[in-house]
Amino acid sequence: MTLPLPAIDVRSVTKLYRRWGRKRSIGTFKSALLSGRAGRALAPDEAIPALTDVSFAIAPGETVGVVGPNGSGKSTLLKLLAGILRPTAGSVSVRGRLAALLELGAGFHPEISGRENIEINGLLLGLSRKEIARRFDEIVRFAELEEFLDAPVKTYSSGMAVRLGFSIAAHCDPDVLLVDEVLAVGDEAFSRRSLEKFAEFERAGKTLLFVSHDLGLIAERCHRAIWLDRGRVAADGPAGETVTLYRERVAEREAERRAQPAPAAPAGRATRVGSGAATVEAVQLLDSAGRPAARLLSGEPARLVMEVGAPERVTDFVFGFAISTVAGATVFGSNTTIDGFVPAELGAAGTVTLDIPSLDLAPGVYSVDAAIHAQDGSPYDYRRDVLRFEVAAEHAAAGVWSPDRRWSFSEGIRWKS
Amino acid sequence: MLRVWSPLQRAWRQRALVVALARRELLARYRGGVLGFLWSLLNPLLLLLVYATVFRLVFTPRSDVRPYALFLFAGVLCWGFVSSALLDAAETFRANGPLLRKTTVAPEVFPAVSTGARFAHLVLALPVLAGAIAIAAVTGSVRPDAAVLQFPLVLVLLAAMVLGLALVVSSLSVHFGDVRDLLANLLTLTFFLTPILYPIEATPGRLRLLLWLNPFAPFFVAVHESTFFFRPVPASAWAGMIVWTVLALAAGSAVFERLRDSIAEEA
Repeated sequence: MTLPLPAIDVRSVTKLYRRWGRKRSIGTFKSALLSGRAGRALAPDEAIPALTDVSFAIAPGETVGVVGPNGSGKSTLLKLLAGILRPTAGSVSVRGRLAALLELGAGFHPEISGRENIEINGLLLGLSRKEIARRFDEIVRFAELEEFLDAPVKTYSSGMAVRLGFSIAAHCDPDVLLVDEVLAVGDEAFSRRSLEKFAEFERAGKTLLFVSHDLGLIAERCHRAIWLDRGRVAADGPAGETVTLYRERVAEREAERRAQPAPAAPAGRATRVGSGAATVEAVQLLDSAGRPAARLLSGEPARLVMEVGAPERVTDFVFGFAISTVAGATVFGSNTTIDGFVPAELGAAGTVTLDIPSLDLAPGVYSVDAAIHAQDGSPYDYRRDVLRFEVAAEHAAAGVWSPDRRWSFSEGIRWKS
Repeated sequence: MLRVWSPLQRAWRQRALVVALARRELLARYRGGVLGFLWSLLNPLLLLLVYATVFRLVFTPRSDVRPYALFLFAGVLCWGFVSSALLDAAETFRANGPLLRKTTVAPEVFPAVSTGARFAHLVLALPVLAGAIAIAAVTGSVRPDAAVLQFPLVLVLLAAMVLGLALVVSSLSVHFGDVRDLLANLLTLTFFLTPILYPIEATPGRLRLLLWLNPFAPFFVAVHESTFFFRPVPASAWAGMIVWTVLALAAGSAVFERLRDSIAEEA
């Protein structure tokens, strides 16, 4: 039996980004022409490595995740695979039709209709006119945009645009699909359907490579994960193992930086008050794969779950969670009344889940309070410091909030790689 | 050797996309206003009116170029195509940055779209030219004949040369911020150095040789011959057009290929 040819084959790939910084500052075409150095002005004067000697092969039918901090070369890798960039050294080959979802709806033109945009986007993804016509209805149905098809895309909500973009890409029937962090957008029902679509791809033996900060998702959905660190492959293996290694490494670095051990131990000053008319039985913090986690990376999705019980039927109840620093400052607090739920009945037992799509906390240790109380505030069961968890991040940030962020600079401000 | 032509090959392979994007550009431009696509006719008409009036009242046109409005029309239309296509090409990578960085589209597509969309404008304005010729023929001031059939071929060659220049302009504009400004000045200068407002016979003999070094000269000689004088385009003009077209396409391809890798990084 022969091994199948890899769907993606990356051999000793190095990618240098070239900078034309110095020449740019004097560099107008006029001066280049006048000084007779047009040729030289086009030569880069600085090279910044984005990827260094990266090699791996992915067999047809594999689903592979790529993890790593911002700036580790993940997006560069996808662009090389997509053929948008060419490697400085080494070779990249992809077998079969390739579709890259680097940004949903990247090719949409706001002034023209959804119908016309479907055609252009399909062509951009490599479909022929005939193929687009054949899949047109299916694309529209999946995106649920039948009524808006002839309206210009500028009138679409961002959710609608995202649905349409995904639907086009999903229906172009690629052999190899590259996805960059696009599942984070759109409503929950739609992310679920897009995940189902990915599962369908997988069953059809397609190759899927995706980059995500959602480590839980990668551990759950991928066979294999590649961890990129500063442009090199730091680990390549079963997804669960790679994700664990990566989390550990980030936490280690974090601990080194703070020069103190990570005290992820639960509940130092746990207290519990209340009448007991309803009780908080257990509280857990889960990652997006649904596994209990004592440590998450900043920006990962998180899920707080409390198991509740009531000895007798209760009709006046509020569930609440609060997150605070170990020093006691409240970072977040909300409950079901604040968020608009009107209680009707709490039966014998149940589960209350709070999903946080992106845990934008600065690195540190945090404490969770969970409570059930009456609408007038009198506690049934108020458990302070019931759980502690640690947030790690590649880069330290002051304060408690560490939102997804992007710096940009005008010309004339430059940085050492 | 074949690699020289690969930008053109890639643009050709993506022709369905080029057509769709050019169409998109036209639709988006004309969907906004009530007058819509009439604007593409109004602009050259107004310009033409200005030229015709000024030149009629201030200078007496030479006897061989009357009616002067008709003499000007085809040339001004064609020049409008040349200059707008090249100016668009100088901006196309900046305007389409997201597409370049986020999709697998071949960058050659964009200068081809600039050229194609502006060429479509030109073609859409041709009925007005045909109308003008018809009116002039009825009033007996010109006598159109089969020589007008050379015009489409001239247009095709002109579009091909503009595509070559668009490849040069677009790829250079990624690296140099001032390409569009330089180009705008250069185009204004070239407009007067090209036989558009005047027939080539109007230039003094010793300058005429110099004029032939202007790549656009044979094209506009051919435009005048085929749409105004209704004479066969001289063989020297055909040769000039073919040579300049091939040179522009080769230079465009070569420069583009040389700078291609940096386009997605820099745009």
